[in-house]
Amino acid sequence: MVFFSAILQWFTNFYDKNLGFIAFIIRRWEQVVEYTYNHFTLVITVMFFSLILWISVGLLISRYEKLANTAFGIGNILFVIPSISLFGIFITIPMLGLGRTSAALALILYAMMPMVRNVYRGIKSVEWPVIEAGRGMGMSAKQILFQIQIPIAWPIIFAGIRVTVVMITGIATVATFIGERNLGRFIHHGIARESADMIIAGAVIVSVIAILLDYILGKIEYKITSPGLKRE
Amino acid sequence: MIVLDKVDKVFPGTTIPAVNQVSFQVDEGNICVFVGPSGCGKTTILRMINRLVEPSGGDIYIKGKKVSDKGVNPDELRREIGYVIQQIGLMPHRTVEQNVSLVPYLLKWPEDKIKPRVKYLLEMVGLDPEEVSRKYPYQLSGGMMQRVGVARALAADPPIMLMDEPFGAVDPIVRGRLQEEFLRLQKEMKKTICFVTHDINEAIKMGDHIVIMNEGKLVQHGTPMEILSEPADGFVKDLVGTDREIKLLELTKSKEIVKRTDDIPSEVWEKDSFILAIDPVQRALETMMKKDTNIVGVRDETETIGTISWNDIKKLINKISGDQ
Amino acid sequence: MDRFISTLVDRSPPHALEHLQLVLIPVVIAFVIAFTVAVLLTRQRFVKYTDRVMTIFNMGQTIPPLAVIAVFFPFLGLGREPALFALTIYALLPIARNTLTGLKCVPGEVKEAARGMGMSEWEMLFRVEIPLSMPVVMAGVKISVVLTSGTAALGALVGGGGMGAVIFAGIDFFRPELIVAGTLIIAAIAIILDRILTVIDNLLTPPHMKT
Repeated sequence: MVFFSAILQWFTNFYDKNLGFIAFIIRRWEQVVEYTYNHFTLVITVMFFSLILWISVGLLISRYEKLANTAFGIGNILFVIPSISLFGIFITIPMLGLGRTSAALALILYAMMPMVRNVYRGIKSVEWPVIEAGRGMGMSAKQILFQIQIPIAWPIIFAGIRVTVVMITGIATVATFIGERNLGRFIHHGIARESADMIIAGAVIVSVIAILLDYILGKIEYKITSPGLKRE
Repeated sequence: MIVLDKVDKVFPGTTIPAVNQVSFQVDEGNICVFVGPSGCGKTTILRMINRLVEPSGGDIYIKGKKVSDKGVNPDELRREIGYVIQQIGLMPHRTVEQNVSLVPYLLKWPEDKIKPRVKYLLEMVGLDPEEVSRKYPYQLSGGMMQRVGVARALAADPPIMLMDEPFGAVDPIVRGRLQEEFLRLQKEMKKTICFVTHDINEAIKMGDHIVIMNEGKLVQHGTPMEILSEPADGFVKDLVGTDREIKLLELTKSKEIVKRTDDIPSEVWEKDSFILAIDPVQRALETMMKKDTNIVGVRDETETIGTISWNDIKKLINKISGDQ
Repeated sequence: MDRFISTLVDRSPPHALEHLQLVLIPVVIAFVIAFTVAVLLTRQRFVKYTDRVMTIFNMGQTIPPLAVIAVFFPFLGLGREPALFALTIYALLPIARNTLTGLKCVPGEVKEAARGMGMSEWEMLFRVEIPLSMPVVMAGVKISVVLTSGTAALGALVGGGGMGAVIFAGIDFFRPELIVAGTLIIAAIAIILDRILTVIDNLLTPPHMKT
């Protein structure tokens, strides 16, 4: 009995000290749901525009080689700008100000590098004899793009989408500092109020979501890859 | 069937023409082999026939129709012409079946016609449809990939085939087998084939007609026998090699030099030294050595049609060695 | 514009120096740790664990930077050291990942040849494996520097100082010149460090592997 109560005691202590964030999550459940909802709608908006924009740009630069260097140059510059700066710069643009549009625009810019690079790499990974054979058999440029190049590049493009989704989910937390009410807010307010439970709750939720997303998208990536492209 | 009339090709950014005033004709049902060193323009000629490359000058006709006519859509033109390249270019993301059925799909064949066609083609090129249909290209050996490449090019039964070193990527033993199988197929198919190779032996083996190219120019064209017996210049002589007598013996069928007679010497019967009319002359020579004789009998499928003697073979060789 | 220039000239230098420290110290420490771990993991005895460790590294890389910065704050409190600690953790993964990849990709036949010439385990590591994997390792260090330089801006949240403090002030008081000045300096630090690393990389890479 004594032994059990000692263990129980230890657990309670451990819980109070280190797992208080669980109680916090339960207590503030409604807020967790609201922030998660906001977080995801932002990520989905960003991904929607990024897919359209950056896949097109990726396809464009794989066709017009001269543009590729310019695009990668811009991408590299965007990459050395800290996320907080990019958000900050957008809110000072008079038309935009604090809010979702600024947050979304900054994140779309961040999505450029991984998306464009992977589309380009994917398209370039198609070996020329395959295209030559396709042309020789009478496939039109459109058929070559949609039946050869994109399907073969697709696993690499999807890997880019996966990296981007995970990255955007992570960086979106920083948008809390320009007024987004998302999962970053627990961390932001937690630091301001020196509330350990709040910070850990925020960090844990965000990390778990990121890891889960990466895992699920990884599974999908494996599933949609043609067995013919899976050779080790 | 295919006619080239003073065809030129100068690639942008270069001054030396890749193809220079080339004219010739490929007859229906023939294999025409283009041979020459790399960069001689043979592949460019092939790619101009199906308009993967547009000529800078001259005209190309298929069945009397100019391929560069405005009315001809290059994509549709290519669907009527089989195309096989050395690197094969199988679609890695598609199964063997999907690869072979590519052109029929482009031509919008009905589904129920495609499946049996694929099965038929795979069997024709010596593959087991049960075994390979669902496989992906990376699961095949080099020889199998080449076979699939040929099956794919034949899928829509095009009257014309363009083949760019189609057996170049496999080892010599497999290559020999593929060549023989393809010749056997061709006997039934009677396609008009343009075949590119850098290997003169392959050219002699495969070609009804050989076109020798160097530095964009047509150097000589003719039957393998003509090329072997009357090389136009030093370049052709070098290309054909020092062993052209042996090649000639391999190339010439016994029935071409047989002395038709009913009077078969008794020596032939005694030593049982017979060869078949379709055997190369080389076989006659081997038989003579083996049986220690200087005359062999030549048989058709059923009857004995004549003899070949040691002197007959010497005469054949002298025909090409005389000018040396 | 005047305010922008005065920010850049008067207020920035001390913060820039702090920021440089926030990048360099974590990356150097991370390099030492990650390199050691990766070398150990590719030794015969531990080689069976490399794939599993790689999975963990990959997973770690998906954790958002803000979470990494914030999560140590409750335990370590405010200040420079906690920020350095968090950034070191953050800088670790890209280097470890690339070092592991680099060492794993040294061709087996090269190692076999080295062993055949009588190289000891140590000689092989220092003369064959490390030199051959250097380009990949350096690529990892570069990624780490760029990522850390950006993330260090968040270090200001937990009292780490650096250019992040300037940027946050700019956001809080709505002063664009502070944000732009801060951004320019952080970008400059990242680019300059990247250039320096490229030079080092060129010196370290065996001549035949240069492209």
